[in-house]
Amino acid sequence: MTIARFRAGALAASVLVFPVMAACSSDSASSDNATAVAVTSTADACELSVTAAPAGPVRFTVKNDGEEVTEFYVYEEDGTTIVSEVENIGPGTSRELSVDLEAGAYETACKPGQAGDGIRGDFTVS
Amino acid sequence: MFANFLIGLREGLEASLVVGILVAYLARTHRRDLLPKVWLGVGSAVAVSLAAGAALTFGPRGLSFKAQEMIGGTLSIVAVGFVTWMIFWMARTSRALRSELEGRMAVAVAAGGTSLVLLSALAVGREGLETALFVWAAAQATGSSTSPIVGAILGLALAVVLGVGVYKGALRLNLATFFRWTGAALVIVAGGVLAYGIHDLQEASILPGLNTIAFDVSDTIRPSSWYGTLLKGTVNFSPRTTVLEAIAWTCYVVPVLFLFWRAVRTPAPRPTSNPTHPTPDAVSV
Repeated sequence: MTIARFRAGALAASVLVFPVMAACSSDSASSDNATAVAVTSTADACELSVTAAPAGPVRFTVKNDGEEVTEFYVYEEDGTTIVSEVENIGPGTSRELSVDLEAGAYETACKPGQAGDGIRGDFTVS
Repeated sequence: MFANFLIGLREGLEASLVVGILVAYLARTHRRDLLPKVWLGVGSAVAVSLAAGAALTFGPRGLSFKAQEMIGGTLSIVAVGFVTWMIFWMARTSRALRSELEGRMAVAVAAGGTSLVLLSALAVGREGLETALFVWAAAQATGSSTSPIVGAILGLALAVVLGVGVYKGALRLNLATFFRWTGAALVIVAGGVLAYGIHDLQEASILPGLNTIAFDVSDTIRPSSWYGTLLKGTVNFSPRTTVLEAIAWTCYVVPVLFLFWRAVRTPAPRPTSNPTHPTPDAVSV
């Protein structure tokens, strides 16, 4: 592959990022029917305001009240397949995670310190 | 504040190292006239990342995690391609410089340096969106506390300072040492970026093996420690590395390092007396 073609390809890839982003984005805050879940992540706890929701869009707002950087994951029932995640949540900040969940059993996890299995909880979607 | 500072430092280092080496390289080859291209790339990547991050943070639409990982992973792999090109560009011109043209010659970079703009943009922008989201979240938190945004900005500032330090340090090496070691450093950095891109694609389930782990030392090297941060920010060392990442890293670093060192050590061809071996005084891009 000549450098010119590689460069053209790279330019195309970088520019295509934007339509991809637009296509893969989802309505978050403006969804009136999204179930809002407040998550508070600390060093030894991961508190969710609700642990069940109807099938459809769910909006998790994760607040890091701990001292370490945290992450929030939504796993499938097996606890290893990632449905959605948000990383790099600095102490004192909040990040949103919007995801469409089908009916089933899920696991949520907060990972203060960005390592390990994290603090797990169950989440049911009906 | 310290944790936010470390994230800012880590995200900034990944870009400032490559840009620092690139600027040092342009200085050593007497092509400072190309610096505006580098700043154009850096500036556009910063602007676009901040704008996209703001739109996603304050706007009505979010970005699915899969899309984010796909973007980060793809841009990282494209960035590896560009850095690899840069590594062998350095090797070729190190040979040209040694062939009696040392000190005075400006290395020709054809095609207007578009590749330089793209290289600098990719170095900064491949993780720019993720960094921008983190920075905007810290900015949003100023309602309750300014410590996150102050920490983040201080971390990014230190990364820039360290990048300048790399640039100044690289300038003081003798020419042969400069090419050999900055090139080697870039190979290691690129290997880390490749592994990171693969991990992103594994998280998006585009590549398999997210939980097939080669090694996990995250108890000893905690990601949120200062040394974990420096290792991640410089060579993208992941305390928890998957098998696919490890294989990709090795399959990239070992051959490329070998080829690079061989390219740097090859004696330069003789100039003009032998018409079948023209002097390589131009590097086409």
